[in-house]
Amino acid sequence: MAHDWQPDYEQLVDEHQSMVFSLALRMTGDRGLAEEIAQDVFLELDKRLGKIESAAHACFWLRRVAISRSADALRRRKVRGMSLWVTIEEDHGVAAEERDSPLGTRLEELLATLPEPQRAALVLRYQEELTPEEIAATLEAPLATVKSNLQRGLKLLRAKAANHLQEYVRGI
Amino acid sequence: MEFEPMEDFDQKLKRSFERWPAPPDLKRRLMENRRRRKERPQWFALPFAVRVAVSLCLLAGVLAALYGGIAANQAEQRRKGEEARQQVLLALRITNHALDHMNRQLAAHNRAHQE
Repeated sequence: MAHDWQPDYEQLVDEHQSMVFSLALRMTGDRGLAEEIAQDVFLELDKRLGKIESAAHACFWLRRVAISRSADALRRRKVRGMSLWVTIEEDHGVAAEERDSPLGTRLEELLATLPEPQRAALVLRYQEELTPEEIAATLEAPLATVKSNLQRGLKLLRAKAANHLQEYVRGI
Repeated sequence: MEFEPMEDFDQKLKRSFERWPAPPDLKRRLMENRRRRKERPQWFALPFAVRVAVSLCLLAGVLAALYGGIAANQAEQRRKGEEARQQVLLALRITNHALDHMNRQLAAHNRAHQE
């Protein structure tokens, strides 16, 4: 089907590079790998540009491919997130104090310890602020599975965060 | 273990999971990569006629190699067959020669006996 939208590749990169990079970074917990994934995703977009029908379609496609490429990379490298997040914060130049609370600082680290499907659902829910229906469409998963992953992931993350907060308070 | 209310936790997650800024040189490296890829000759970027011609040349090469292999194999088989035939003929000649010799000796023996 013909479409009137004329994509501007550079503009798409400008608009979405932060989103793609952040999705890959939160999924893999590895900055170098996240950069590689972001490059791959945008180069793939370049090849498929003719099939992209609108700005919203481009955004949806980028999210879907970024998550799926990150999952592939995780499976290939079997990255253990927890140990890598220390490197991310050091390399990224975001000091722990810049985050709003000790818990907030550790949430990203705790996220990396969750199973991959739960992490993907939570990242799309809280970073991209997608609804469960939109997440299901992005991940090409049944809505019930997405809802279950969101609930389980949130419960697990909350428990881990509460546990961490108790340790933090004891440490003060 | 005491949990904070879910709504607070929800809000906290939204604040914590803001997008990270992309590395400053990501776009530059990406555009460089893209330019390099575009400079490389791409198979599907070639005209259809060129793709057909290249495919036919490759196919001809493969068929020629295949035919050459089969022909060489057949020639080798023929050479081995001819060699075996020559050996059999040589053996027959030797046998024939031995029989002639024996015949001559028998004839001479018979003549001597009659005399």
